[in-house]
Amino acid sequence: MNRAVPARRDYYRVLAECLPKEALTVTALGNASYLWAVVRDAPENFYFEDAMGLALPFALGLAVAQPERKVVVVEGDGGLLMHMGVLVSVGAVAPRNLAILLVQNGVHAASGGQPVTSPSLDLAALGRCVNLKRADNIQSTEEFRTALVSVLQEDGPSLLALATEPDVDVVAPPVVFDPVATKRRFMDAIGAQGYVPTMFGGGVLADS
Amino acid sequence: MRVAGDWRGRILAEAAAATTHRPSELLAALKRVGVRVVVSVPDSWLGEFLVEIGRDPAVSLIRATHEEEALAIACGARLGGARSVLMIQNVGLLTMGAGMVCLAQRYQFPILILASYRGSPEDPVFYHIPKGRVTEPVLQGLGLGFALVRPERPIGSQVERAATYAEEASLPFVLLLSREDVHW
Repeated sequence: MNRAVPARRDYYRVLAECLPKEALTVTALGNASYLWAVVRDAPENFYFEDAMGLALPFALGLAVAQPERKVVVVEGDGGLLMHMGVLVSVGAVAPRNLAILLVQNGVHAASGGQPVTSPSLDLAALGRCVNLKRADNIQSTEEFRTALVSVLQEDGPSLLALATEPDVDVVAPPVVFDPVATKRRFMDAIGAQGYVPTMFGGGVLADS
Repeated sequence: MRVAGDWRGRILAEAAAATTHRPSELLAALKRVGVRVVVSVPDSWLGEFLVEIGRDPAVSLIRATHEEEALAIACGARLGGARSVLMIQNVGLLTMGAGMVCLAQRYQFPILILASYRGSPEDPVFYHIPKGRVTEPVLQGLGLGFALVRPERPIGSQVERAATYAEEASLPFVLLLSREDVHW
Protein backbone atom coordinates (compact mmCIF):
# COMPACT_ATOMS: atom_id res chain seq x y z
CA MET A 1 0.00 0.00 0.00
CA ASN A 2 1.26 3.43 -0.91
CA ARG A 3 2.17 5.18 2.37
CA ALA A 4 1.71 8.62 0.80
CA VAL A 5 -2.03 8.20 0.61
CA PRO A 6 -4.28 10.06 3.05
CA ALA A 7 -5.28 8.68 6.42
CA ARG A 8 -8.89 7.75 7.15
CA ARG A 9 -9.12 10.84 9.33
CA ASP A 10 -8.16 13.07 6.39
CA TYR A 11 -10.96 11.64 4.29
CA TYR A 12 -13.40 11.97 7.17
CA ARG A 13 -12.59 15.66 7.60
CA VAL A 14 -13.48 16.27 3.97
CA LEU A 15 -16.62 14.21 4.32
CA ALA A 16 -17.70 16.17 7.38
CA GLU A 17 -17.16 19.46 5.54
CA CYS A 18 -19.12 18.43 2.47
CA LEU A 19 -21.92 16.34 3.91
CA PRO A 20 -25.29 18.09 4.02
CA LYS A 21 -27.16 18.05 7.31
CA GLU A 22 -30.01 15.96 5.94
CA ALA A 23 -27.73 13.19 4.67
CA LEU A 24 -27.77 9.86 6.48
CA THR A 25 -24.62 7.91 7.22
CA VAL A 26 -24.02 4.24 7.96
CA THR A 27 -20.53 3.30 9.11
CA ALA A 28 -19.03 -0.18 9.40
CA LEU A 29 -17.54 -1.62 12.56
CA GLY A 30 -14.33 -0.46 14.21
CA ASN A 31 -12.65 2.81 13.37
CA ALA A 32 -15.05 3.42 10.50
CA SER A 33 -17.63 4.13 13.18
CA TYR A 34 -15.42 5.19 16.10
CA LEU A 35 -13.59 7.86 14.14
CA TRP A 36 -16.74 9.11 12.43
CA ALA A 37 -18.27 9.61 15.87
CA VAL A 38 -15.21 11.68 16.81
CA VAL A 39 -15.27 13.77 13.65
CA ARG A 40 -19.01 14.28 13.27
CA ASP A 41 -21.34 12.61 15.71
CA ALA A 42 -24.95 13.23 14.74
CA PRO A 43 -28.31 11.54 15.24
CA GLU A 44 -28.35 10.81 11.52
CA ASN A 45 -25.35 8.49 11.98
CA PHE A 46 -25.91 4.76 12.29
CA TYR A 47 -22.89 3.04 13.81
CA PHE A 48 -22.21 -0.66 13.37
CA GLU A 49 -20.60 -2.22 16.42
CA ASP A 50 -20.01 -5.59 14.66
CA ALA A 51 -21.87 -7.49 11.90
CA MET A 52 -18.89 -7.28 9.59
CA GLY A 53 -19.79 -7.02 5.92
CA LEU A 54 -23.36 -5.96 6.48
CA ALA A 55 -23.09 -2.17 6.52
CA LEU A 56 -23.54 -1.92 2.75
CA PRO A 57 -26.64 -4.12 2.46
CA PHE A 58 -28.06 -2.34 5.49
CA ALA A 59 -27.49 1.02 3.79
CA LEU A 60 -29.13 -0.31 0.63
CA GLY A 61 -32.30 -1.07 2.60
CA LEU A 62 -32.18 2.34 4.23
CA ALA A 63 -31.77 4.05 0.87
CA VAL A 64 -34.82 2.22 -0.49
CA ALA A 65 -36.91 3.23 2.53
CA GLN A 66 -35.72 6.85 2.52
CA PRO A 67 -35.47 7.70 -1.19
CA GLU A 68 -35.48 11.46 -0.67
CA ARG A 69 -32.38 11.53 1.53
CA LYS A 70 -28.82 10.87 0.53
CA VAL A 71 -27.44 7.78 2.25
CA VAL A 72 -23.66 7.58 2.58
CA VAL A 73 -22.17 4.29 3.73
CA VAL A 74 -18.57 3.82 4.79
CA GLU A 75 -17.42 0.23 4.39
CA GLY A 76 -13.94 -1.28 4.28
CA ASP A 77 -12.38 -3.44 1.60
CA GLY A 78 -12.35 -6.40 4.02
CA GLY A 79 -16.01 -5.92 4.82
CA LEU A 80 -16.94 -5.74 1.15
CA LEU A 81 -15.07 -8.96 0.42
CA MET A 82 -17.21 -10.76 2.99
CA HIS A 83 -20.39 -9.98 1.04
CA MET A 84 -19.32 -8.92 -2.40
CA GLY A 85 -22.63 -10.05 -3.85
CA VAL A 86 -24.28 -7.01 -2.37
CA LEU A 87 -22.57 -4.84 -4.97
CA VAL A 88 -24.61 -6.72 -7.57
CA SER A 89 -27.76 -6.06 -5.54
CA VAL A 90 -26.94 -2.36 -5.36
CA GLY A 91 -26.44 -2.25 -9.11
CA ALA A 92 -29.72 -4.05 -9.70
CA VAL A 93 -31.80 -1.95 -7.31
CA ALA A 94 -29.94 1.19 -8.39
CA PRO A 95 -30.99 3.55 -5.60
CA ARG A 96 -30.16 7.01 -6.87
CA ASN A 97 -29.59 8.27 -3.30
CA LEU A 98 -26.88 5.80 -2.25
CA ALA A 99 -23.21 6.73 -2.12
CA ILE A 100 -20.64 4.10 -1.14
CA LEU A 101 -17.30 5.10 0.34
CA LEU A 102 -14.97 2.12 0.39
CA VAL A 103 -11.97 2.58 2.62
CA GLN A 104 -9.26 0.53 0.94
CA ASN A 105 -6.43 -0.01 3.38
CA GLY A 106 -5.62 -3.57 2.37
CA VAL A 107 -6.04 -4.98 5.85
CA HIS A 108 -8.62 -6.07 8.36
CA ALA A 109 -7.89 -3.09 10.58
CA ALA A 110 -10.50 -3.87 13.22
CA SER A 111 -9.03 -7.30 13.91
CA GLY A 112 -5.41 -6.17 14.15
CA GLY A 113 -4.27 -5.51 10.62
CA GLN A 114 -4.19 -8.90 8.93
CA PRO A 115 -4.01 -8.55 5.13
CA VAL A 116 -7.28 -8.89 3.28
CA THR A 117 -7.53 -11.70 0.74
CA SER A 118 -6.65 -9.42 -2.16
CA PRO A 119 -5.38 -6.02 -1.05
CA SER A 120 -4.97 -4.40 -4.45
CA LEU A 121 -8.30 -5.03 -6.14
CA ASP A 122 -9.55 -2.37 -8.51
CA LEU A 123 -12.69 -1.67 -6.52
CA ALA A 124 -13.91 1.02 -8.89
CA ALA A 125 -13.79 -1.51 -11.71
CA LEU A 126 -15.97 -3.80 -9.61
CA GLY A 127 -18.42 -0.97 -9.17
CA ARG A 128 -18.53 -0.26 -12.87
CA CYS A 129 -19.10 -3.87 -13.84
CA VAL A 130 -22.21 -4.07 -11.63
CA ASN A 131 -23.64 -0.97 -13.33
CA LEU A 132 -23.15 1.63 -10.65
CA LYS A 133 -23.69 5.10 -12.01
CA ARG A 134 -20.22 6.19 -11.00
CA ALA A 135 -17.21 4.44 -9.53
CA ASP A 136 -13.80 6.01 -8.98
CA ASN A 137 -10.58 5.07 -7.27
CA ILE A 138 -9.40 7.97 -5.10
CA GLN A 139 -5.80 8.64 -4.07
CA SER A 140 -5.86 12.08 -2.44
CA THR A 141 -8.12 14.32 -0.38
CA GLU A 142 -8.26 16.82 -3.25
CA GLU A 143 -9.57 14.14 -5.58
CA PHE A 144 -11.96 13.03 -2.89
CA ARG A 145 -13.38 16.49 -2.32
CA THR A 146 -14.06 17.02 -6.00
CA ALA A 147 -15.61 13.59 -6.48
CA LEU A 148 -17.62 13.76 -3.27
CA VAL A 149 -19.20 17.10 -4.13
CA SER A 150 -20.38 15.61 -7.41
CA VAL A 151 -21.55 12.38 -5.83
CA LEU A 152 -23.61 14.25 -3.24
CA GLN A 153 -25.30 16.32 -5.93
CA GLU A 154 -25.81 13.72 -8.64
CA ASP A 155 -27.92 10.62 -8.82
CA GLY A 156 -26.23 7.37 -7.81
CA PRO A 157 -25.58 4.74 -6.91
CA SER A 158 -21.95 5.69 -6.73
CA LEU A 159 -18.79 4.26 -5.29
CA LEU A 160 -15.61 6.00 -4.28
CA ALA A 161 -12.75 3.69 -3.29
CA LEU A 162 -10.51 5.63 -0.92
CA ALA A 163 -6.89 4.48 -0.89
CA THR A 164 -5.55 4.87 2.61
CA GLU A 165 -3.04 3.51 5.07
CA PRO A 166 -4.05 1.00 7.73
CA ASP A 167 -5.20 2.46 11.04
CA VAL A 168 -5.09 -0.43 13.46
CA ASP A 169 -4.98 1.66 16.65
CA VAL A 170 -8.49 1.75 18.00
CA VAL A 171 -9.95 5.23 18.28
CA ALA A 172 -11.98 5.86 21.42
CA PRO A 173 -15.44 7.04 20.42
CA PRO A 174 -16.82 10.04 22.31
CA VAL A 175 -20.29 8.55 22.62
CA VAL A 176 -21.65 5.31 23.98
CA PHE A 177 -22.34 2.84 21.20
CA ASP A 178 -25.55 1.44 22.61
CA PRO A 179 -27.15 -0.41 19.69
CA VAL A 180 -30.79 0.20 20.54
CA ALA A 181 -30.14 3.80 21.56
CA THR A 182 -28.31 4.34 18.28
CA LYS A 183 -31.28 2.95 16.37
CA ARG A 184 -33.87 4.98 18.26
CA ARG A 185 -31.89 8.19 18.01
CA PHE A 186 -31.58 7.71 14.29
CA MET A 187 -35.25 6.88 13.73
CA ASP A 188 -36.36 9.83 15.82
CA ALA A 189 -34.07 12.15 13.87
CA ILE A 190 -35.52 11.18 10.52
CA GLY A 191 -39.10 10.78 11.68
CA ALA A 192 -39.16 7.14 10.65
CA GLN A 193 -42.31 5.27 11.38
CA GLY A 194 -42.31 3.41 14.67
CA TYR A 195 -44.66 0.76 15.94
CA VAL A 196 -47.59 1.53 18.20
CA PRO A 197 -48.17 -1.49 20.47
CA THR A 198 -51.53 -3.20 20.05
CA MET A 199 -52.28 -2.73 23.74
CA PHE A 200 -52.32 1.03 23.23
CA GLY A 201 -54.70 0.92 20.33
CA GLY A 202 -52.11 0.64 17.65
CA GLY A 203 -50.78 -2.50 16.07
CA VAL A 204 -49.73 -0.40 13.12
CA LEU A 205 -46.78 1.66 12.02
CA ALA A 206 -47.23 5.32 12.78
CA ASP A 207 -45.18 8.45 12.30
CA SER A 208 -42.95 8.89 15.31
CA MET B 1 -44.82 -30.31 14.24
CA ARG B 2 -47.23 -31.67 11.66
CA VAL B 3 -46.62 -35.35 11.07
CA ALA B 4 -47.92 -37.87 8.62
CA GLY B 5 -50.15 -39.45 11.25
CA ASP B 6 -51.96 -36.19 11.97
CA TRP B 7 -54.92 -37.25 9.85
CA ARG B 8 -57.37 -34.76 11.30
CA GLY B 9 -55.13 -31.83 10.44
CA ARG B 10 -54.52 -33.19 6.97
CA ILE B 11 -58.21 -33.57 6.23
CA LEU B 12 -58.94 -30.07 7.46
CA ALA B 13 -56.02 -28.73 5.50
CA GLU B 14 -57.20 -30.35 2.34
CA ALA B 15 -60.71 -29.00 2.89
CA ALA B 16 -59.33 -25.50 3.39
CA ALA B 17 -57.06 -25.79 0.38
CA ALA B 18 -59.99 -26.78 -1.77
CA THR B 19 -61.80 -23.53 -1.06
CA THR B 20 -59.04 -20.94 -0.76
CA HIS B 21 -55.88 -19.99 -2.54
CA ARG B 22 -53.53 -19.63 0.36
CA PRO B 23 -50.75 -17.77 -1.50
CA SER B 24 -53.27 -15.08 -2.46
CA GLU B 25 -54.36 -14.88 1.16
CA LEU B 26 -50.75 -14.57 2.24
CA LEU B 27 -50.07 -11.78 -0.24
CA ALA B 28 -53.20 -9.92 0.85
CA ALA B 29 -52.12 -10.22 4.48
CA LEU B 30 -48.71 -8.71 3.72
CA LYS B 31 -50.43 -5.72 2.16
CA ARG B 32 -52.85 -5.42 5.09
CA VAL B 33 -50.03 -5.13 7.59
CA GLY B 34 -48.37 -2.45 5.49
CA VAL B 35 -45.33 -4.26 4.14
CA ARG B 36 -43.39 -1.91 1.87
CA VAL B 37 -40.21 -3.88 1.27
CA VAL B 38 -39.84 -7.59 0.53
CA VAL B 39 -36.31 -8.94 0.37
CA SER B 40 -35.91 -12.38 -1.12
CA VAL B 41 -33.57 -15.16 -2.05
CA PRO B 42 -35.33 -17.69 -4.24
CA ASP B 43 -36.73 -21.12 -3.59
CA SER B 44 -38.81 -23.11 -6.07
CA TRP B 45 -41.87 -22.77 -3.84
CA LEU B 46 -41.46 -18.97 -3.72
CA GLY B 47 -40.77 -18.22 -7.36
CA GLU B 48 -44.23 -17.37 -8.66
CA PHE B 49 -45.19 -15.67 -5.43
CA LEU B 50 -42.26 -13.30 -5.86
CA VAL B 51 -43.32 -12.60 -9.43
CA GLU B 52 -46.73 -11.56 -8.07
CA ILE B 53 -45.11 -9.28 -5.50
CA GLY B 54 -42.94 -7.77 -8.20
CA ARG B 55 -46.09 -6.68 -10.03
CA ASP B 56 -47.27 -4.63 -7.07
CA PRO B 57 -46.08 -1.01 -7.30
CA ALA B 58 -46.75 -0.47 -3.59
CA VAL B 59 -44.10 -2.99 -2.59
CA SER B 60 -40.38 -2.85 -3.33
CA LEU B 61 -39.06 -6.31 -4.12
CA ILE B 62 -35.31 -6.65 -3.64
CA ARG B 63 -33.73 -9.83 -4.90
CA ALA B 64 -30.62 -10.32 -2.76
CA THR B 65 -27.68 -12.59 -3.47
CA HIS B 66 -27.45 -14.19 -0.01
CA GLU B 67 -29.78 -14.54 2.95
CA GLU B 68 -27.55 -12.75 5.44
CA GLU B 69 -27.31 -9.86 2.99
CA ALA B 70 -31.10 -9.99 2.64
CA LEU B 71 -31.53 -9.77 6.39
CA ALA B 72 -29.32 -6.69 6.56
CA ILE B 73 -31.25 -5.04 3.72
CA ALA B 74 -34.49 -5.69 5.57
CA CYS B 75 -33.08 -4.24 8.79
CA GLY B 76 -31.91 -1.12 6.96
CA ALA B 77 -35.32 -0.65 5.42
CA ARG B 78 -36.93 -0.98 8.84
CA LEU B 79 -34.54 1.63 10.21
CA GLY B 80 -35.88 3.90 7.52
CA GLY B 81 -39.43 3.29 8.67
CA ALA B 82 -40.52 0.70 6.13
CA ARG B 83 -42.05 -2.53 7.33
CA SER B 84 -39.96 -5.22 5.70
CA VAL B 85 -40.28 -8.95 5.20
CA LEU B 86 -37.78 -11.61 4.24
CA MET B 87 -38.91 -14.41 1.93
CA ILE B 88 -36.37 -17.21 1.81
CA GLN B 89 -35.91 -20.94 1.98
CA ASN B 90 -35.18 -22.34 5.42
CA VAL B 91 -31.58 -22.93 4.38
CA GLY B 92 -31.21 -19.17 4.68
CA LEU B 93 -31.92 -19.43 8.37
CA LEU B 94 -28.78 -21.56 8.58
CA THR B 95 -26.61 -19.13 6.62
CA MET B 96 -27.62 -15.86 8.30
CA GLY B 97 -26.64 -16.64 11.87
CA ALA B 98 -24.05 -13.91 12.41
CA GLY B 99 -26.23 -11.17 10.99
CA MET B 100 -29.15 -12.43 13.00
CA VAL B 101 -27.39 -12.18 16.36
CA CYS B 102 -25.05 -9.23 15.68
CA LEU B 103 -27.47 -7.02 13.80
CA ALA B 104 -31.14 -8.00 13.79
CA GLN B 105 -31.34 -9.20 17.38
CA ARG B 106 -28.67 -6.93 18.81
CA TYR B 107 -30.33 -3.79 17.43
CA GLN B 108 -33.82 -5.20 17.91
CA PHE B 109 -35.21 -5.03 14.41
CA PRO B 110 -38.72 -6.45 14.03
CA ILE B 111 -38.36 -8.40 10.81
CA LEU B 112 -40.94 -10.92 9.69
CA ILE B 113 -39.24 -13.88 8.04
CA LEU B 114 -41.35 -16.11 5.85
CA ALA B 115 -39.38 -19.27 5.16
CA SER B 116 -40.36 -22.21 3.02
CA TYR B 117 -39.88 -25.26 5.22
CA ARG B 118 -38.00 -27.63 2.97
CA GLY B 119 -36.98 -31.05 4.19
CA SER B 120 -39.69 -31.21 6.82
CA PRO B 121 -41.64 -34.46 7.28
CA GLU B 122 -44.06 -33.08 4.69
CA ASP B 123 -41.28 -32.38 2.19
CA PRO B 124 -39.10 -35.48 2.31
CA VAL B 125 -36.79 -34.58 -0.57
CA PHE B 126 -33.43 -36.21 -0.02
CA TYR B 127 -31.33 -33.09 -0.49
CA HIS B 128 -33.65 -30.89 1.59
CA ILE B 129 -33.82 -33.27 4.56
CA PRO B 130 -30.43 -32.23 6.02
CA LYS B 131 -31.75 -28.66 6.26
CA GLY B 132 -35.16 -29.68 7.52
CA ARG B 133 -33.72 -31.79 10.31
CA VAL B 134 -31.83 -28.92 11.89
CA THR B 135 -34.06 -25.95 11.13
CA GLU B 136 -36.04 -25.89 14.36
CA PRO B 137 -33.06 -26.70 16.63
CA VAL B 138 -31.11 -23.88 14.98
CA LEU B 139 -33.97 -21.44 15.49
CA GLN B 140 -34.14 -22.49 19.11
CA GLY B 141 -30.40 -22.11 19.44
CA LEU B 142 -30.57 -18.60 18.04
CA GLY B 143 -33.34 -17.76 20.46
CA LEU B 144 -35.62 -16.85 17.58
CA GLY B 145 -39.37 -16.84 17.93
CA PHE B 146 -40.97 -19.03 15.29
CA ALA B 147 -44.12 -20.93 14.37
CA LEU B 148 -45.23 -23.44 11.79
CA VAL B 149 -48.20 -22.35 9.76
CA ARG B 150 -51.23 -24.37 10.80
CA PRO B 151 -52.84 -25.77 7.68
CA GLU B 152 -56.33 -25.96 9.14
CA ARG B 153 -56.44 -22.19 9.75
CA PRO B 154 -56.53 -19.34 7.24
CA ILE B 155 -53.00 -18.20 6.58
CA GLY B 156 -53.76 -14.48 6.50
CA SER B 157 -54.44 -14.16 10.20
CA GLN B 158 -51.36 -16.24 11.00
CA VAL B 159 -49.18 -13.89 8.97
CA GLU B 160 -50.71 -10.87 10.66
CA ARG B 161 -50.06 -12.37 14.09
CA ALA B 162 -46.49 -13.22 13.17
CA ALA B 163 -45.86 -9.67 11.94
CA THR B 164 -47.43 -8.30 15.11
CA TYR B 165 -45.31 -10.60 17.24
CA ALA B 166 -42.16 -9.29 15.58
CA GLU B 167 -43.16 -5.68 16.17
CA GLU B 168 -44.34 -6.12 19.73
CA ALA B 169 -41.21 -8.09 20.62
CA SER B 170 -38.91 -5.78 18.63
CA LEU B 171 -37.27 -8.90 17.27
CA PRO B 172 -37.30 -11.02 14.14
CA PHE B 173 -39.94 -13.74 13.97
CA VAL B 174 -39.95 -16.74 11.63
CA LEU B 175 -43.04 -18.28 10.10
CA LEU B 176 -42.31 -21.65 8.48
CA LEU B 177 -44.43 -22.21 5.38
CA SER B 178 -45.57 -25.36 3.67
CA ARG B 179 -45.83 -25.67 -0.09
CA GLU B 180 -49.57 -25.03 -0.08
CA ASP B 181 -49.06 -21.71 1.72
CA VAL B 182 -46.86 -20.10 -0.85
CA HIS B 183 -46.57 -22.04 -4.08
CA TRP B 184 -48.59 -19.91 -6.49
